[in-house]
Amino acid sequence: MAQGPTIFPSSFKSFSQKAETAVSVALGQHLAASNAIRQAIATYLHLAGIETGYGYFAPNVQGSYKLVFELHYPDGRVEYELPSVSGAAAGLRIAGLLDKIGRTPYDPLREHLVKTLALSIWREHPEVKTIRAVFGSISLPSVSEFEHGKRESYEFLYAYDFSLQNEPAKPKDR
Amino acid sequence: MQVPKERILGFLFPAGTDNWLAILRLGLGLQTTLYSISLRNDWNDLLRGGSGRDFAEALLSVESHFVPRLGWFVALGEHVALREESILTVAWICLLVAGCGLLLGFFCRFSAILAWFFHLCAAESGGFVSYGVDNFMTIGLFYLVLSPLPDRYSLDWWLRKARPKDPQLLGFWRRVVQLHLCFIYFFSGLTKSLGSGWWDGSNIWRSLIRPPFNVIDPEILVRWNYLFPVAGIFICLLEIGYPFFIWNDKTRKVWLICICGMHFAIGVTMGMYLFALIMIILNIAAFAQGLIGDSAKQLFVRRQTAHA
Repeated sequence: MAQGPTIFPSSFKSFSQKAETAVSVALGQHLAASNAIRQAIATYLHLAGIETGYGYFAPNVQGSYKLVFELHYPDGRVEYELPSVSGAAAGLRIAGLLDKIGRTPYDPLREHLVKTLALSIWREHPEVKTIRAVFGSISLPSVSEFEHGKRESYEFLYAYDFSLQNEPAKPKDR
Repeated sequence: MQVPKERILGFLFPAGTDNWLAILRLGLGLQTTLYSISLRNDWNDLLRGGSGRDFAEALLSVESHFVPRLGWFVALGEHVALREESILTVAWICLLVAGCGLLLGFFCRFSAILAWFFHLCAAESGGFVSYGVDNFMTIGLFYLVLSPLPDRYSLDWWLRKARPKDPQLLGFWRRVVQLHLCFIYFFSGLTKSLGSGWWDGSNIWRSLIRPPFNVIDPEILVRWNYLFPVAGIFICLLEIGYPFFIWNDKTRKVWLICICGMHFAIGVTMGMYLFALIMIILNIAAFAQGLIGDSAKQLFVRRQTAHA
């Protein structure tokens, strides 16, 4: 409620933000990170598995994200790869990771996570010279749009170029 | 004041059999085993240092230094010249063995602690690739560790003649699981009901066609689009109503069947089998007692024994 659009009027947002602040105070999140009480509460929450909320697919179901790697070989050849895993269970986890990459407001975190996925591609294709990671969102059609022939569409969000010389990525936003 | 206090204590420490604990142990044993097997080929890739584990653990350290993580074992292994891959493989084997131990009921307490600990390590170290199923597994295993094991269907009971030290806590921990589930469903339903998409059914459609949950062909789904608003409203009401209708003897059976049916449908139509399984296990362990062959006579005898 405090962060996203809901069916409640916008005036309700300030109340929600106050409630959110009250809860974070109760959980010690306004104390210093090294504070023993804050650390003890955080430890208990993690040990019991209750450190996150229960708003799965709520309040609304957002679109998903897609990451495509453009592999550039020394001989000029270009190939395309998607982040791949062996099993369906791990596939769900990679999809969750892409959601986290897409939703994070922190550019350095986004770049780091994309880089970790690019590294796994590099392990499989060690002869590749450079990798361009293209990150985009998938827009889902509504029922009526689908009935009129519209299908899911891909919107470009970010691109990162990685090379083997451990150079920092060159982000190319939108 | 005496009566309310007695009523509260009676609510928190109800008499009962250990059937619910047997269901929880068997269910979590099955869940942990399937979880390990399903990640067998990807375990090392998801949890190796360069995969984001280092970063997830660094972020975790900002919150707390005491939450278990795989990095502890990897660092320890480096001192004895053990490779990261070997450490991760050993952790996976430990989790699988713990799952099998729970299934058989062999060294129940140790198996429960082992399963909780190594699953927590994996879930926290793989923070960026973990999702709801990890939270619910941690919750279930955490309560299993604290509950009075072993139950009477375990190998510990029959072969090792082991008995629980605090059987009077059986009802208490079941009550805690029940209250926790009520809390989870109420807030899950409440947050869903705040989104307009659950009232007009568009969120059902979007959930089912959203990659990677698009198990069913949208061309087939669209033929049933008139059901989406009904399903969306039904899910909101089912979840919000859970803490109000699950306690009543007359409505419990219907609510439990509906909620388990919902999770089964999520598992089948969205490919979230492990998520569906853990939710069904928690629900059946918490609320199915009395509905699946638990005789009232047995409960009565236990209560008499406790007072004597």
